[in-house]
Amino acid sequence: MKITRRAALAGIGTLALARQVRAFEPFKPSPQLLAAATKEGRMVFYTASFTEVEQEVINAFNKRFPGIRIQMVRASGGQLITRIRTEAAAGKLSADVIDHSDRGLMKEVENLFADYAPPNAADYLPSVLISPKLWPRLTAAWSIAYNTELVKNPPKSWMDLTKPGYEKGAIGQVIAPSGGTTWTRIMFERQVLGEDYWKRQAATKPALYPSGAPLSDALVRGEVQIAPLIYNAIMPKKRDGAPIGIFFPPEGVPIVPYATGIPKTAANPNAAKLFLDWSLSDEGQAFTIKDQGNLTSLKSPPFVPEGFDPKVAKVWVPDFTQFATLRDKWLEEWNTVYGYRQ
Amino acid sequence: MDTEAFPVSTNIIQFPQTWLATATQAGHDRATRHPRPEDVHHPMPTPATSPRLFSRAWSGLLLLILTFLIVYPTGMLLLGALTDANPVVDGFANMRLSLDNFATVLANPTVHAALANSLLACAGGTALAVIIGLFFAWIVVRTDTPFGGFIAAIGMLPLFVPPLVAGVAWAILGSPKTGLLNTVLASMGIGFRFDLYTLSGIIFVFGMYYAPYIYMFTASALRNMDPSLEEAAEISGASAFRTMFTITFPLILPAIVSGMLLSFIVMLGIYGVPATLGAPANIPVLTTYIFQLTSWSPPRYGTAASVAMILMLVTGALVVIQQKVLSGRSYVTVAGKAFRPRTLRLGPWRWFTLALAVIYLFVVVVLPTVALLIAAFRKFLYIRNFDALFDAKQYSWLHFDRLFSNPATVDSIINTMQVGIATALIGGVLAFAVGYTVARTQAPWRRAIDVIATVPVAIPGLVIGVAYLWAWIGLPGGFYGTIWILALAFVARFLPDTVKVLTSSLMQIHRELEEAAWLCGRGTLSTIATITLPLARPGVIAAMTLLFVLSIRELGSSLFLYSSQTMVMAVHLLSYYEGGNFSVTAAFSLVQMVLLAVLIGLTSLATRRATPMDAASGLGRAG
Repeated sequence: MKITRRAALAGIGTLALARQVRAFEPFKPSPQLLAAATKEGRMVFYTASFTEVEQEVINAFNKRFPGIRIQMVRASGGQLITRIRTEAAAGKLSADVIDHSDRGLMKEVENLFADYAPPNAADYLPSVLISPKLWPRLTAAWSIAYNTELVKNPPKSWMDLTKPGYEKGAIGQVIAPSGGTTWTRIMFERQVLGEDYWKRQAATKPALYPSGAPLSDALVRGEVQIAPLIYNAIMPKKRDGAPIGIFFPPEGVPIVPYATGIPKTAANPNAAKLFLDWSLSDEGQAFTIKDQGNLTSLKSPPFVPEGFDPKVAKVWVPDFTQFATLRDKWLEEWNTVYGYRQ
Repeated sequence: MDTEAFPVSTNIIQFPQTWLATATQAGHDRATRHPRPEDVHHPMPTPATSPRLFSRAWSGLLLLILTFLIVYPTGMLLLGALTDANPVVDGFANMRLSLDNFATVLANPTVHAALANSLLACAGGTALAVIIGLFFAWIVVRTDTPFGGFIAAIGMLPLFVPPLVAGVAWAILGSPKTGLLNTVLASMGIGFRFDLYTLSGIIFVFGMYYAPYIYMFTASALRNMDPSLEEAAEISGASAFRTMFTITFPLILPAIVSGMLLSFIVMLGIYGVPATLGAPANIPVLTTYIFQLTSWSPPRYGTAASVAMILMLVTGALVVIQQKVLSGRSYVTVAGKAFRPRTLRLGPWRWFTLALAVIYLFVVVVLPTVALLIAAFRKFLYIRNFDALFDAKQYSWLHFDRLFSNPATVDSIINTMQVGIATALIGGVLAFAVGYTVARTQAPWRRAIDVIATVPVAIPGLVIGVAYLWAWIGLPGGFYGTIWILALAFVARFLPDTVKVLTSSLMQIHRELEEAAWLCGRGTLSTIATITLPLARPGVIAAMTLLFVLSIRELGSSLFLYSSQTMVMAVHLLSYYEGGNFSVTAAFSLVQMVLLAVLIGLTSLATRRATPMDAASGLGRAG
């Protein structure tokens, strides 16, 4: 009986995972751009996000603009940046749009990119912009998720993850050196939740995972019971009916704005511009929030996810200078505290 | 055993005898009965006009090709280990050579742990593989266990399963918390739980999946062995088992050692199994560590290249050890007379050996396939209890729909087929050229050619990928971003395997036939075309099939060389795995396995047709 009710609640949840908070106009490109982009007919998209997630974006874009075939190259953050730097140095960069979760690494290769700003550039929060050439196509947000079949008393905050009494490996954690996304979270933990947060959390003996994607799958399978996860990595599984609960912790929601731009060498700059204009528009941002579980770096979000109240939630953006300067030292300390050997 | 039941494996079986012949020439000469070119005294056959010039030009051409394919990228790898720079980005002028990376790596406790885990996992895996592989070779070749041909054919299947797929399947089966095996045990009220997220778990999967390597090596040695020594032992009153352990196995020691060496080296380079089973328990091995170094942001290639050098050193040391073990002993068991290997009549025990074979096949083939089927068709992999496994509502084609709604999936299949075919053709021709030159001619520099062609065995694919990128991206023209760059990388990477398969096939063709052609006034090329090539056809097809299968499985060197137009299946599979979706990964794994099965079936038909000709020549393989 209990299970039936839970299943029913989960069903309701899937219908109300996001809600519209303001009206917005559908995206409308200029006829010139649309014609030029259609003439190019294709573009190459490099991303450090995930294949399945980005295929959904491409499908949504193609529903609006069927004439442009997008080919994706997906690699993990480190491998993608190596490919970009090497191809660019050899004069063989084939990307028309490059999308990366690590703004620090992208800032270093800023000179590869052409000047670009979307039509609604003024609507974006100045605090998340690191370069006039790079834009936050995606803004990922950290949440805490749990397996509803296994957890009867779900945690309600970041601090709950430090309580003693969890069995070994009940909580799953992504390792800090996995990339810019996790680095943002552990920076938040130390700066906002307290100098000793890592130590107290590590005392619960969490299971360590190389990245968020396998951890979200492990959570669904029940390998771990609770895990801090990027909302977009777990929301689609909940939406599809997996036994998962998710919440945005009250102490703060670290967000990770991506850096996306058009290389100077793009062979299909108009298709690239159309894709980015659409992605960064109210319509495109509404799609990534509603269907993919992202937040947005727009000053006024068109949609918000379930359980996220923009008036209450404390969105946390890392200081970009500290993001670069603290990194090596703090990662090393985190590795020691969590017993992760690098 | 009906060796023709599964022609692919039959032909692969040939390569043990000459595997690593370069490194173990002394042992090799004693261990095999093939005449070496030096033993047969006659001048180097060449066309009438300027013979020396021609053979020099020929060797020079081969060396040039090998330099491009192997020496140059390996040099880039070494450069990467000695600097912290990306040679393409930073330019050679800005590089400072230093041993810092090596010093850092050697002082890093994680590297120590990863090295220790790698050695333990591979040693354990090899030991298990020897027990299983040797046992199967023995029951298939030397006993009257029923369905021997079938056992031999099915037992080869694990070779064609990509390691990542095997790892995912066994993670689904043997996870300590959610493994299907544990769900079944719980439903039966048994308290015991499997835990494959351990070093022993990795050893178990390694041993199971690489037993076929040992099988390939030892089966052919057992088949080619003169049984008179065993008969002598039994006449002297030794029991069957005593004969086995004191006569049979010691005599095929070179084959066992070569098989152990190869499986150890292959295991050292495997990423998929330790990634899926070791990562959840934080058990680093060298390959997973190298992969992490390249994935972290910022990536650390200099360190990765240095760790790769450690892998190469371990491999090199193993080759030397093998040489030491095998040298100075005589393993001559085969005289120049006809014989048939003896078949041991097991009586009722043959049902026991059959039962063991069936259990192995169940564990290695049936269980993982069932796990993949469940994962691929179940909406979610949360399985509350045993009964929930049979809840039909949970099953659907959802993950297959998702897989094929991505146009990259079909593209990746097409690209993989193209790359596979290109690799097989180019690699087949090159391997034949190298093999023929080394084994059958007195061409200058052939030792150097042989040594260079063996080098790629020791380089892990994950790291050589970036070396190929650095080495080849600067080439003029549109080479980078095409399937050809992938095909050439695979040709280089698998040249040692292909050359060895072909060489053993060439060595079985008696020189008399070629000499007859020369006496009739044919030139070298004409002789190759009319005599050697047709006779070596099964070996050539086997080598090309092997190349095709290996290139479909290859992940490491593809990672950096694929482009938006040339995504291949292995990379696509990894991106689903990294995307954290076991179910779509399992669905794609099944698609890949079905494709491979169909392709191998087709090749098997093609080879079957070639076999009668081989037999008719009177020079076919023994046994």
